[in-house]
Amino acid sequence: MVRLSDLPDYEREHLLSKNLEPLGPPVWNQLTKPVAELRVALITTAGLHFRDDPAFEFTDSTFRPIAGTEDGNTLVMSHSSVNFDKTGFLEDVNLVFPIDRFRELEAEGKIGSLASVHYSFMGAGLKPSAYETSALQVAGLLKKDKVDAVFLTPV
Amino acid sequence: MSALSYYLEREGILTTGISLVRENTVSLQPPRALWVSFPLGRPLGIPGDRAFQHKVIDTALALLMREKGPVLEDFPLDAPTVDMESAPACPVSFAKRAVSTDSWKAALLSELQTLQTWQDLGRRRRKGRTLVGVSSLSMQENVEKLGQLLDDKVLPASELDWFKLAIEDAKVFYLEALTAQPGDYNPEQLQSIFWKETTMGFALMKFYNMFQEDKVLSGFARIVVPRAAIDGPTD
Repeated sequence: MVRLSDLPDYEREHLLSKNLEPLGPPVWNQLTKPVAELRVALITTAGLHFRDDPAFEFTDSTFRPIAGTEDGNTLVMSHSSVNFDKTGFLEDVNLVFPIDRFRELEAEGKIGSLASVHYSFMGAGLKPSAYETSALQVAGLLKKDKVDAVFLTPV
Repeated sequence: MSALSYYLEREGILTTGISLVRENTVSLQPPRALWVSFPLGRPLGIPGDRAFQHKVIDTALALLMREKGPVLEDFPLDAPTVDMESAPACPVSFAKRAVSTDSWKAALLSELQTLQTWQDLGRRRRKGRTLVGVSSLSMQENVEKLGQLLDDKVLPASELDWFKLAIEDAKVFYLEALTAQPGDYNPEQLQSIFWKETTMGFALMKFYNMFQEDKVLSGFARIVVPRAAIDGPTD
């Protein structure tokens, strides 16, 4: 469990070193239609991509697109951190990138639709502000895809 | 996660998602986050548990209906841990051996041959799914190169990109072999076997020490071996 009180000192100190100031004044958008009508994209920071995509570098703020029609089971991971468990992801891609769960929500009508393309980043080794340029690019792509909401998963 | 959430929301896109380290989320204040108590690497909690994963997702999606933020909610359920006693036995017996060897290349290739059958079995159990393949070289080629570097006592200073992908392929190859049989595994137990019993674990620890001693490349050591294997408890 990631309760800091449960972790050894070396791990706790490392994780607390990532406590940083907010990136700016609070931002907030109000929901204007039911969740059942939202078009949703997934974004992971787990460093996922397909084998024929470039792997992520040691520190890397770029992103990889994941087409909504692809089989999540063909994704691989090139995250530079070695300090998290990969055995769960090995058994089930949805543990990190819940694409099948969201396809089920779409089929059941609990969300409006899934985006044409989802996105993967690699969250390690950089300050949060280093992701601004890539995030703005992805925001533009999401808007073109008429995406209303994003579901984010770390690793 | 928090940074992307902040920038996307600023661009007018609603965001919600998972927080694995509550303290980091408290400090960065993304618009909406659901903190979960699950281990790093497992943001949806339990592999293969569709119902549990849907509970996590539903709770995070419900944050979209809040009227003001930032919102940081705690998910009420923990993910169960797997007792080491109830986990399937490791299919391979790794002879306890000295950290040094006459030929790392020969020892690593021998171990690769032993594990190949089990990795094949694991891949079939997962219906062909494998995480091996981020490196452009085969496991055999990577193991030969890694072994030769250790035999020559040199670091891959001009091939760091290859080295990182090669060792990540090696780690997941071993995990796939060690988990060839169906069942729930204890991740810490698997890590312990890899780092304390396998020749590859010893080899990567050797690389870690070589990087540590190198004035230019010492920073690279931390992405070879996890903190738990360096600073964690010893048997």
